[in-house]
Amino acid sequence: MNIKTKLILFLGLVCFLHSCTKKEFEGPLIETLYGDFELIKPLKLTNKNPSFLSNEQVGFHCEFNKPVQWKIAILGLSTSATREITGFSNIIDSNMIVWNGGPSQVPFFSEEVCAIELTFENEIDTLRDTISIVSAKTYENGIWVENFEDGLPTNALVYYNTDGGGMTFSVANDDALLGNSYFKMGGRVNWDWNLGSLDLPLNITNASQASDDLYINIGILSDLQDLHTGQFINILISEETGTPFNDNPNNNASDLFESTMEVYKMKVPVDWNGWQLKSFRYSDFEPVSPNNQDINFNMNPSDISAIRISCQACPSSTGNPNCPENFGKDVRTDIDHIIFTANSSLLDQ
Amino acid sequence: MKRNLILLLIFFAVFLSAISLHAQINENIWFDGLSRSYFARDAVDKSTTDDTLSAKNTSNGYNLLDLNTHVNPIKDIEIFAQLRIRNSFGSFFGSGTEINVRQLKAKGVINNKIRFSVGDLFLKQSKFTLHNYDEELSGHENDMLKPYRDIIHYENFYTENRWHLQGIQTDFSFEFDRFIRSLGFDFFVTRPSGSSQINETTYSSDLLLSGGSMISEINKRLTLSGNYINLFEVASSGTKNISVRNPVHDMSLLHHFGNDKYRIEQKLQTGFSKRYWLYSELENGTSDSTSNDTQGMYFELDNKYIKKDSTLFLTLGYRYVDPNFRSAGAQTRRLDYAAGNSNTIYPIYTNMSLIRPPSLFDLVSDDRLYNRDLSSILMAFNPSYSNILPYGEATPNRNGIYLKAKINNKKKVFLSKINAGFFKEVIGQGAVEKRYFGLFKGSFKINFHRWLNWEKELSLSASSESELTRRDGKAVSSLNLFSHQMNASVNAELAKKFFIQASYKQFNANGNEFLTQRDNYGNITYFTSTQIDQKDHILSFGMLYKLRENVYANLNYNWWGMKFTDQPYLDYKYNRLILILSVEL
Repeated sequence: MNIKTKLILFLGLVCFLHSCTKKEFEGPLIETLYGDFELIKPLKLTNKNPSFLSNEQVGFHCEFNKPVQWKIAILGLSTSATREITGFSNIIDSNMIVWNGGPSQVPFFSEEVCAIELTFENEIDTLRDTISIVSAKTYENGIWVENFEDGLPTNALVYYNTDGGGMTFSVANDDALLGNSYFKMGGRVNWDWNLGSLDLPLNITNASQASDDLYINIGILSDLQDLHTGQFINILISEETGTPFNDNPNNNASDLFESTMEVYKMKVPVDWNGWQLKSFRYSDFEPVSPNNQDINFNMNPSDISAIRISCQACPSSTGNPNCPENFGKDVRTDIDHIIFTANSSLLDQ
Repeated sequence: MKRNLILLLIFFAVFLSAISLHAQINENIWFDGLSRSYFARDAVDKSTTDDTLSAKNTSNGYNLLDLNTHVNPIKDIEIFAQLRIRNSFGSFFGSGTEINVRQLKAKGVINNKIRFSVGDLFLKQSKFTLHNYDEELSGHENDMLKPYRDIIHYENFYTENRWHLQGIQTDFSFEFDRFIRSLGFDFFVTRPSGSSQINETTYSSDLLLSGGSMISEINKRLTLSGNYINLFEVASSGTKNISVRNPVHDMSLLHHFGNDKYRIEQKLQTGFSKRYWLYSELENGTSDSTSNDTQGMYFELDNKYIKKDSTLFLTLGYRYVDPNFRSAGAQTRRLDYAAGNSNTIYPIYTNMSLIRPPSLFDLVSDDRLYNRDLSSILMAFNPSYSNILPYGEATPNRNGIYLKAKINNKKKVFLSKINAGFFKEVIGQGAVEKRYFGLFKGSFKINFHRWLNWEKELSLSASSESELTRRDGKAVSSLNLFSHQMNASVNAELAKKFFIQASYKQFNANGNEFLTQRDNYGNITYFTSTQIDQKDHILSFGMLYKLRENVYANLNYNWWGMKFTDQPYLDYKYNRLILILSVEL
């Protein structure tokens, strides 16, 4: 190959290389990223009169010139219920960013007008709109629900320390989270941690979800007057299948929560004021007896046979003064609306 | 009865010992390996006043023995096992002792024709398909810091720019008496990572790397070679229905000629890559689909002039690598700044408990910062330390010329190296304007003992490495980054095989750059503007007793630290005393 041929080949190749890349640049334009914020398409709502009862949704659409941290805040003008949706992008896509009527935390939205506000971090722009909820979302769609509307379930077992003062382990109707009834759990046992518990049998053998996809949701009411420290609820879930729920009828408690059984727990500190709806992924529960080699801790939601909600608080009497600041205060950890949901928590359903 | 029993026992004892003896005669077992004793004492420098939370000094160390057992059960088969026994200093009654198998391999030749290896493999192909590029700032390392670098390379299985993989490999060749002179083949299949549990119900897929090479000597002057490699996931081995595919094709033509004084080599190398994610085994009978497809090519023309008396090696070349060229085997970095690996020495510093950014000394001395796994997307890099070729010669979006030279005099009194390059981006990143890169690295070594005909060694070496990155255009996207590393060291042999050593290494980086953020599919999502103004230093003084080439005891003291100007980090300074006894068996 002589030099001329080599040169022609080389030049041909250089021309080929120069023509093989079509784009002028890769990635987002820096000039835009670090330039002024601009709105390309205004905020648009896909449904301004949603009927959440019919599973309708509200989609949000907005486009801007660069990725920014944005926040959509929804405020119920009657209930003061709120919902926040946040993200980091240059587009809010109504196919992806939707609201299905649930709040971020209680109170729940009702049939009311809601103010919508879209804000951007470090930018002064604020976009506003309103929607009117035609029918509010309900919260009864779950794998299993206990809302105490018909009183205590027939098989439920209630245990509490009878030596305590002002013990309230019963169904009440004065200030429910949803509906009319809820279960009060509280009182005063200054000398000991344990106040009492509610055991409920469960049968969800048709649940096909993995433990990652099963959520346990529960409404909890903390003190309304004196905020109590060191009070919490223990949620125990048993997957024991070989023992009857109430094997020993003399102890006012289920026999499915022994230390030799496959039982999982979640400890929930209760330190707020009023109702809150708490949601927990079942796979986040921990074994009660992790060191017991005889138990095969293999979570399987369809094996869940019972749930125990127990109320505990830090003792404060002079004999056992772990939390002297609570002396004379009544513990209050009332519960309502225990519901198992699939794939997401109740408020995200 | 009792006598019969004794006779029976004697018979079996003699018979079994004969079998055992027979086995030992036929077996060929031999050992080699490496033993290392390591002790380091790190201390916060006395001038540091804003760190009262960290321990003033810490010490750690270990003894380890890597025992390589080679067993040849038959002539053409060898079984190799590397057993590691490691004992950390301060462990109590063996509680800190680890014993594990570090490597296991069987290799052999079938019918004197086909070679094979199964187990731990060290694989390399071309520089664009499978090549484990050297880490940044390691081009002209001085002798004093070499023990550190040796440990990093040994612990991370970095051998001759090969990747350590596990799988099976075979190679064979043919020789011909007409048309072509020889034809050789090499094939391998490896599994860089296996399926692992992500959460209770999700498992990642097996990641496999397979490839093959062909090399043919067409005539005395012309050699043709081709490589193919593919990094891919087997979707069915996990629960995700998305799997990466990254095939790369490579071809090169090597032409050489010369006479008894010089040799000239010309190499033309080109190839292309594809990378995409395959969605397969979808629900409801949906057909397979792909996403994030990229295709890219590269081209390199490399010319070498080699004087046969070894006084001059000169390389001049042109390289083009497309922005979309992706090759996991060649572009995976040894240092991954996004992996979240924290420094082993004082990972947290100051009374505000800040995470200490890695310095030049950490890169030189900390083997835990380094990566051994292939990555299917481009890994993050630190532009201060390497901005021009962060992925080696396979760095995408580069177009330019390069020059490498090695000049020695005949008595090897003066040795020097030059490495220079001028590159530009093929397309801009985040701007229409392209970055321009200038690279200049030079080093020399003067062997005074050869010059003055002394028996004992006295040498001085120094190097200077500079990188310049510039992008013009609008003020918001323009950039200018300059980094420079300076290195000087002295080796003096005071008594036979006993050396006194001193070295100084300094690194400066100054300017601004945009750090690239990529998503899980390697697409650029954001550019973070960053200002850089830092100065690293390492001053070392110590002694070396070199019994043999790979048997040495090294004791030295390092003063090192980092200084920032107008940066969100605080300055730091530390000292280290280190003892390394390394014996290659």
